[in-house]
Amino acid sequence: MTAWGRAARLVMTVLAAIALLAGTAVGDDAHFPFGPFRMFSTTDRIDAPVNSTRVEAIDVSGRRFVLTDELSGLRRAEIEGHAAAFRQDPSLLRDVAEAYSRRHPDKPPLTQVTVVVRRYALRGGVPTGDYEDTVQMTWRRR
Amino acid sequence: MSTISRWLFEPMPLGRVAVFRTIVYLFIPVDVLITTPWVVDHKDTPRSLYMPLVVGDLLHHPAPTYGLVVTVMTALLICSVLAATGRHPRVLGTAVFLLYAEWMLIAMSYGKVDHDRFAFLVALAVLPTVGRARYGDRNRSDAAGWALRVTQIAVVCTYFLASWAKFRFGGLDWLNGATLARAVLRRGTIFADWTLDVRLVLIAMQYVIVAFELSSPVVLFVRSDRVRYLIVAGFYLFHLMTFAAITIVFLPHLVAMLAFLPLERIRPLRFLQRHLPGLARAPALAGRQSRE
Repeated sequence: MTAWGRAARLVMTVLAAIALLAGTAVGDDAHFPFGPFRMFSTTDRIDAPVNSTRVEAIDVSGRRFVLTDELSGLRRAEIEGHAAAFRQDPSLLRDVAEAYSRRHPDKPPLTQVTVVVRRYALRGGVPTGDYEDTVQMTWRRR
Repeated sequence: MSTISRWLFEPMPLGRVAVFRTIVYLFIPVDVLITTPWVVDHKDTPRSLYMPLVVGDLLHHPAPTYGLVVTVMTALLICSVLAATGRHPRVLGTAVFLLYAEWMLIAMSYGKVDHDRFAFLVALAVLPTVGRARYGDRNRSDAAGWALRVTQIAVVCTYFLASWAKFRFGGLDWLNGATLARAVLRRGTIFADWTLDVRLVLIAMQYVIVAFELSSPVVLFVRSDRVRYLIVAGFYLFHLMTFAAITIVFLPHLVAMLAFLPLERIRPLRFLQRHLPGLARAPALAGRQSRE
């Protein structure tokens, strides 16, 4: 290896290390791939309710169903990641309906898309069996 | 400085890079087609749902279109299989790295970022710098050493910095919190559900995890090969247990972790020759064997 080759590798190593340390200290997920490794990093109280997000849809035939990851092509976590954007502009949900239509052109189009959050109550970390559904936002075709 | 430099460029066998490279590149079709099949689903996602990463903004990257996603996937699959042969390692390796980086931009720009592939990305970035490397070659090179070393460092960073993130986002309370309990509640398997009745086990596990993550850099500095392999076996065991408990597995990370192992002992062509004598007579393979 030439002296230049060695120097270039050393510089790349140091720059990547600085980026990764900075991302860990002050960055967030948007700084991928140098963001913090924040998997399972939040602290939860044992009795705080567990939230579970789902997307429900109604098509022109009146059929109501859960819009799964496979049907919309969006992962549940991606829907959750868009929560703030949806709240600001519920018409964005029209584009979730659009994604469904692109993936299933043979199926009837959607007239309504709803994001529902189910909160499971816990006591001592054990589900009590009670839950509460909250409609976060809804889009209806006019 | 020279001690660090000696350690960073400690020569390692070229044969290890040859096998590591083949496994890394062959994992890409598995990743794209089987284990993370949702990435390609973004071909149908309307542009309004694109949430660019910082790197996407810096590059002025437009929202991915159907054509872009399908083109990148096709090119990535072809290049990764070709690169796995070890031919034209610099050109094909660079192509694979750039295509996979673009694939990741498509994957992570819709509201959710995964943390399971930093070391894999580092491996893809540095493998092209090694150049030619043959299976079974015990000759050591500092270029091979650097590529394997920085991949190893990236593996360790994924553990060590995960503890930093826990303290940053969860605080010291994380240790006594209910993070694992809730993970088991949400995704627990029959191997994990019993822990909910013995809460102390889960708290103890949280201490064990942080202790393991903070002490993981040791693997980079142990002199004894045997101890190093034992530690790495422990890392794999940790992921196996996590998978058994909550069905989460960091597959690309596990592939990158092979950089710690004496892969130069694996000689795929010799194996084929021994077990598939008919195949070995094929001229292309026979030509390569004589050079092996």
